[in-house]
Amino acid sequence: MAYKTVKKDAPGRGKVDILAETYESGRPEGEGAGKWRQKLESRDEKMKYLQTGERYWYSDDWFGSEKRKKPA
Amino acid sequence: MAEEKQAKSIDQATLEMLAKASEEGISTAFERAEKMKPCPIGADGSCCKNCAMGPCRIPLAKGKQETPEEHAKRVGVCGATAETVAARNFVRMIAAGSASHGDHGRRVVEAFKLMAEGKTKDFEIKDEQKLLKLALDLGVEIGNRSNNEIALDIAKICEKEFGKQEGELIFIKNAPLKRQEIWRKLGVVPRGIDREIVELMHRTHMGVDQDYKNLMLQGTKAALADGWGGSMISTEIQDCMFGTPTPTLSEINLGVLKEDHVNIIVHGHEPALAEMLAVETQDPELINYARSKGAKGLQLVGMCCTANEVMMRHGVPIGGNYLQQELAIITGAVEAMVVDVQCIMQGLQEVARCFHTKLIATDNRSKITGAEYMAFDEHQPRESAKAIIRAAIDNYPNRAASKVRIPKVKTPLIAGFSHETINYLLGGLFRASYRPLNDNIINGRIRGLAGVVGCNNARTTHDSAHVLMIKELLKNDVLVLSTGCAAMAAAKVGLMVPEAAKEFCGPGLAEVCETVGIPPVLHMGACIDNSRILIAATAVVKDGGLGDDISDLPAAGAAPEWMSEKAIAIGQYFVASGVYTVFGTTWPTTGSKEFTEYLFEGMEEMYGGKWAFEPDPVKAAQLMIAHIDKKRKALGIDKARERVLYDMAMRRELEG
Repeated sequence: MAYKTVKKDAPGRGKVDILAETYESGRPEGEGAGKWRQKLESRDEKMKYLQTGERYWYSDDWFGSEKRKKPA
Repeated sequence: MAEEKQAKSIDQATLEMLAKASEEGISTAFERAEKMKPCPIGADGSCCKNCAMGPCRIPLAKGKQETPEEHAKRVGVCGATAETVAARNFVRMIAAGSASHGDHGRRVVEAFKLMAEGKTKDFEIKDEQKLLKLALDLGVEIGNRSNNEIALDIAKICEKEFGKQEGELIFIKNAPLKRQEIWRKLGVVPRGIDREIVELMHRTHMGVDQDYKNLMLQGTKAALADGWGGSMISTEIQDCMFGTPTPTLSEINLGVLKEDHVNIIVHGHEPALAEMLAVETQDPELINYARSKGAKGLQLVGMCCTANEVMMRHGVPIGGNYLQQELAIITGAVEAMVVDVQCIMQGLQEVARCFHTKLIATDNRSKITGAEYMAFDEHQPRESAKAIIRAAIDNYPNRAASKVRIPKVKTPLIAGFSHETINYLLGGLFRASYRPLNDNIINGRIRGLAGVVGCNNARTTHDSAHVLMIKELLKNDVLVLSTGCAAMAAAKVGLMVPEAAKEFCGPGLAEVCETVGIPPVLHMGACIDNSRILIAATAVVKDGGLGDDISDLPAAGAAPEWMSEKAIAIGQYFVASGVYTVFGTTWPTTGSKEFTEYLFEGMEEMYGGKWAFEPDPVKAAQLMIAHIDKKRKALGIDKARERVLYDMAMRRELEG
């Protein structure tokens, strides 16, 4: 998906681009309402989402409350 | 004093159709349950019919304390004790329940494999992300391979899960790490789905396992092979092929049937046929065909768990839950009831004979004497669905207008709260997380979580226990996750829309639901999708702050109107996963106090979860709340603590 950015003043760095809102404006209607999984289009995006959104299962950097030295 | 007659249902549409059935002299499950009382010996689990020296009946005398001598005399011809008999009966229920979910899963994998091999053109991968997730779970190479290549490897691995003879089921590793350790220590990690069920049946054969604790270890293996095996495989593969559920608006109750349309009801459990019917009932050619017969269009309506499947993915309206299946036909407005497997009453055929309705069996594992059989061919699913729809349309002119009465009762609902969707709703694409849920449990706005699931049972007032229990939980700030016929009961009384939070919830839960925009009862799917609740509970554990195992969570489960053997399998896999699980209506082991005590108390020492029985749904909810409070106390979050933003003066005071 294409992400929107907005320009903001950053102290000492002038104008910088930051991520803007990611929600869809207005009231969702029609068949697509609520179908959030279609927002991820490419395979790379989907893999990345698994490593972030489902990080406790699919990212090596996260273990949540279960961080332990020896795997179970 | 005369015994007060129990109300048949709390649902207006149901009562209306029962009155119509009575006027027209049609027999229903409600009436049959009234006429035929359950066998008291069988109900207690005190009848053993596992060999031809019996059946041996060894009932526990009611209303008096049994002496050790009396207890010693309660044995079968072979000497089997009340404990062994009750345990054998109980674990056989687990075996049948696990087999049902397992066989459902096997069929889904078979269809998935056909799709991957290109042998059926009508199914496709609808959710690539779920496919990738499964590839990661199962160690399938992704690279630049096509979806079908990946799918074929996944299908082959899943297929092997059923017949595997050694090792561990792969999805076990999705459980919290501590839970896996507990299972391994107790030796209850399932090797293969079929193997655990077969071994359980062997062990309950005459003259094999005669130690109820040992029987329950194998019962647990078979149950875990359901929850973390057959059911989980079904849910995951179905999501791949038909889409992971996302919030969907629909309607529920018999009022969704349309007087001027060809009404087709799809009833059962496996979603492949229902998916195709959902697609094909939109076909303009078939709609025109219906018009040519005098109808204004085609209306597909779901019933029982199939309804949950197609409603969550397509918004197909739901006619009703388990006890409403006969009543749907009694409206006189149903051209065809299309069934596959599980929870299909044989009484349907007799009811259908009173009307023009065609009862169409579609699965070779589940034929019904007198019903028409139209095989659902997974190689040509579209053609199969078209043929069924045409048969229904051809039946429309046979409808007798004088016999039609559709109750004007229906309620809106929002469903489709899969684990993935909950994770997304709580944080969006960038911060998908259970963190807000955990934070609100920790700060006390949400007191805890409850899974209220299960069937209807004609021995208790239809829908009543579900609704009373859920309302009591909501009032006490407990967020409810629901599946199956329980979810439908909640939906029918308006608990599955966001505005319900304000009316039915305590202030903390209402605030959270209002902020996130979710209903206070989250519909997570069909009974096979109880595996989604296991994953949601695991996600709560993994997100942290609420212990490191499911048994640490302020959470409980219930099936207040359970009926099927599947419910017992589900209950046991929840208990073995660390959940306090309360069943209502009846309890099938009361013939042995010792075995019942083992289930109600002894299991907790092993698994952290245990069974309980309480037929009063409000009291049962209070038991669940007491358990939630016990867990909150153990976690040190029993006192609500609001976050305080410290200003400089307060900080200085602290430092001083």
